Amino acid sequence: MKHLVTVGLLLWYVGFFLFMGIEPFDPQSWAFANILPLLFVGVLTISYRYLPFSCASYVLFAMFLTLHTVGSHYTYAQVPFGLWLEELFDLPRNHFDRIVHFCFGLFFAHPLLELFKRVPGMSAWIRAGLVVVTLVGLGGLWEILESWVTRIVHPELGLAYLGAQGDIWDAQKDMAATLYGALSWLVIMIISRKLTGSRVGWPRESSLELPHASDHGSYRH
Amino acid sequence: MRLTTAATATNQKPFKGQTLLHGLIAWYVVLWVFLAIDPVDRHDWLLENILAMGLVIILVTTYRRFPLSDLSYLFLTVFMTLHAIGAHYTYSKVPLGFWMQEWWGLERNHFDRIAHFSFGLLLAYPLRELFLRRVHVRGFWAYYLPISGILALSGFFEILESWVALLVRPELGEAYLGTQGDEWDAQKDMTVAVFGAFFTIMLTYALSKLVSQKSLPAPP
Repeated sequence: MKHLVTVGLLLWYVGFFLFMGIEPFDPQSWAFANILPLLFVGVLTISYRYLPFSCASYVLFAMFLTLHTVGSHYTYAQVPFGLWLEELFDLPRNHFDRIVHFCFGLFFAHPLLELFKRVPGMSAWIRAGLVVVTLVGLGGLWEILESWVTRIVHPELGLAYLGAQGDIWDAQKDMAATLYGALSWLVIMIISRKLTGSRVGWPRESSLELPHASDHGSYRH
Repeated sequence: MRLTTAATATNQKPFKGQTLLHGLIAWYVVLWVFLAIDPVDRHDWLLENILAMGLVIILVTTYRRFPLSDLSYLFLTVFMTLHAIGAHYTYSKVPLGFWMQEWWGLERNHFDRIAHFSFGLLLAYPLRELFLRRVHVRGFWAYYLPISGILALSGFFEILESWVALLVRPELGEAYLGTQGDEWDAQKDMTVAVFGAFFTIMLTYALSKLVSQKSLPAPP
């Protein structure tokens, strides 16, 4: 059953990716924006046998990647949904990229928690804290990579290129959006735990029984 | 006197016998007061010191329950010293940065980059100690998590900086002291911090491999 879901999600992503690869608005920025997602899907596929995530996590990955695929087709700044929002709420710019940054924090939190479940010796709260910290860090890393691509490929365009849309505080706002997404996940988790009085939503220990390659004693210094 | 490290800090002497700590505290207090007397821009100095004082308060209040190793306190003091100097000169006017600017023909005062690099370089080790001794992670995670933590803290600092800039000096925008007109300032600051953290962690890894395991006391 799980294989069916994961293979289905992979097929969906590959199909949708190819469909959205037909005549993207800016082929060059589309290609750059899709290097990391493709690598990520490749890693997920290869590591599936050794480091499986839960079905829920794969669904969350697929949801995020779908959003990103849409965004990269329209170079983010031209996504119809964002343009529609812009008109509706009279916004100064297309906010679709902010939504996707927020979703990165919201959707990747649960898989990361599953990953940290494999690290022995952590309490639930430390684990949850590390999830938020890691997401902000990854958000920062994305901004760094984005700035490198821009400075190498289109140094003359500067902040007008790619995600920034001319906003000097774009990087900070993007990272803040990721932070809010991660914090939203944290709030949802806490509420669901309070309501059910159980660990619903947290991955079960039993589903993650893997020998951890930890105690080889080389950590000391 | 032997300097304790993250691996040997489990049985710390009582505070009375910690000569190094007394010296570090005395040094920082004297330097901080001296630099607080007549900063270049009092308003900016105050803003820069909010987070620094927060860190000092955390370190003081957690000392009894969780004393860090001598090496970590040494690194923290060096970083706080750099930050105190930067705050005094509002970072963009630090003399050392001007000299560098002149020598190498740089387009801006790079002292803030040095401070960001030092943030990663000097704080990755205390952070690693925290993960080792408090979270009890081992192996790969004890090397990876400090780097990830430094990256996240740098990102969070940039977010805070942008909030302060938008709240306090919205009219200055891009020219705000932190960025000095560089549109990629935030990304560069985070990059150097990560490089600093990576260097320290790699060095720690190399040293832990080189130093004979037998020369260290057994872990608890």
